[in-house]
Amino acid sequence: MRRALSHPSFMIGLVLTGFIVTIALLSLFWTPHDPGKMQILQRLRPPSVQFWLGTDQFGRDIASMLMVGARNALLVGIVAVGIGFVVGMMLGVFAAQHEGSLLDEILMRLLDFTFAFPAVLSAILILTFLGPGVVNAVIAIGIYSVPIFARLARGAALQVFSRDFIRAARLAGCSRLSILRRHVLPNIAGLMIVQASLQFSLAILAEAGLSYLGIGTQPPNPSWGRMLFDAQTYMARAPLVAVFPGVAIAMAALAFNLLGDGLRDLLDPRLKER
Amino acid sequence: MLRFLARRGLSMAATLLVAAIVIFVVLEILPGDPAVAMLGVSATAENVAAIRLELGLDKPAFTRFLYWISGLFVGDLGISYSYRVPVAQLIAERLAVTVPLALLAQMLAVLMGITLGVFAAARAHSRLDAGIMALSQLGVATPNFVFGILLILAFSLTLGWLPAGGFPGWGEGGWRALRALALPAFSLSLPQAAILARITRSAMLEALSEDFIRTARAKGLTRGQIIRRHALPNALVPVITMIGLQFSFLVTGTIIVENVFSLPGLGRLVIQAIGGHDVILLKSLVLLFVGAVIVINALVDIAYGIVDPRLRKMPR
Repeated sequence: MRRALSHPSFMIGLVLTGFIVTIALLSLFWTPHDPGKMQILQRLRPPSVQFWLGTDQFGRDIASMLMVGARNALLVGIVAVGIGFVVGMMLGVFAAQHEGSLLDEILMRLLDFTFAFPAVLSAILILTFLGPGVVNAVIAIGIYSVPIFARLARGAALQVFSRDFIRAARLAGCSRLSILRRHVLPNIAGLMIVQASLQFSLAILAEAGLSYLGIGTQPPNPSWGRMLFDAQTYMARAPLVAVFPGVAIAMAALAFNLLGDGLRDLLDPRLKER
Repeated sequence: MLRFLARRGLSMAATLLVAAIVIFVVLEILPGDPAVAMLGVSATAENVAAIRLELGLDKPAFTRFLYWISGLFVGDLGISYSYRVPVAQLIAERLAVTVPLALLAQMLAVLMGITLGVFAAARAHSRLDAGIMALSQLGVATPNFVFGILLILAFSLTLGWLPAGGFPGWGEGGWRALRALALPAFSLSLPQAAILARITRSAMLEALSEDFIRTARAKGLTRGQIIRRHALPNALVPVITMIGLQFSFLVTGTIIVENVFSLPGLGRLVIQAIGGHDVILLKSLVLLFVGAVIVINALVDIAYGIVDPRLRKMPR
């Protein structure tokens, strides 16, 4: 605990993450203004007491939109990383259990293959098929992160399976399932959680990118990427309208990157980056 | 060596083929009737019939796939549905924007990333190091399109030094074209430079802790000489790996950045093809991007095999 408190990047990551989560939760009950309410007379106002971060081209309150956007970003991250984490871990551990079998080989080749499809492109391909929208974007980002988790889980599980305590547990008559639950999963959880934190940041960036391109979150649902796209048109008149969503995206990604880096150092000092 | 090359080439060809099959299935078979998908719900029966004929949908899927693949070899990719121009011609025109953009960005990323990484490692645990590492954290977290918009704000709208978007074409003189590519390339390169700086720093620290560095120091070489002649060359292997991996990020990064700067390149064409439901154009475009990544990865592997014979064994 003391080590965690004195780890600067972990603490900065934790504070930033806490801030974003608080803002997102707060937006469920309260925002300074209705984020969807258009007031044409108040369009493109600079920050003021009334509108903390100013207003957009429709006179909507930017602070309120960013708050709801935080909720959107976190939801995308949770669901997309959740899909990748759960499916990837199951596939990876399953492959490790059957190491060297044909199934393992096929699975690994398939995973290799998915790496040939870069993230944005596979998301675009999936979205062309499923149609644009935030749910489909989440599925696309989730599918893309499955192989990353699967490879990690397979490698880590293989190491655990080769340890003596697994053999001991087998000799003691533990069932396969209980070995998995009691010995394998707890031992690979740390590594997986670190990766989840880093993937979370990638998921937020990916959603922002797809929404910027117009194939992610659809209006009127606020999304940081979409806000950035809308703001670009009015940038000469109201530059801050474009700056705030950009800062929000970078801050969220930074928060989860720092958190992941910090967790990695704390959970396994050997992996510490020099 | 020849066997290694043949094996790597074969596996590359196999991956390309599977990629083509996946793209074909996702874009032409899974949506049900691509003709209806392209025209939307308000399509008339005649329009659908016409487009079915154009797509060759009266023929079985396997024949269509073979027709597409064989067309790839002779440069006949069909006529774009939304542009009414041969797809091959469209792609060739757009390559003249995307390839220079990606190369320019890669050059900038390497230049900035390695320089910053070397400085950080040479002054490890100093304020300079901490500053560079903090900047690189920010760089990794900020996506290229956010950089793009901030750069437009600073260099186009505020200072007025560079154009905010658009592309005059190479015919108007190389200088004007390069000016139009400067900000996009810069925003594309910043996140990559940040990653490279981190990798370079840790590889340099690793190299600097080796015994031969102590020997060099004992010989009386200066700090600069040690870094240039001994540490940097030894640190380059992981750095080059990263550069290889990054090129595929740069290639796909152009999809977003070209849209930020309204550059008429391949990346913008992808989004335009999606907007126009142009399956004919889209399938060849996606294959081009995926193919570029697959070929680059294979080339990086082959380069390793040449440099280090131990790596000629296929990775599992």
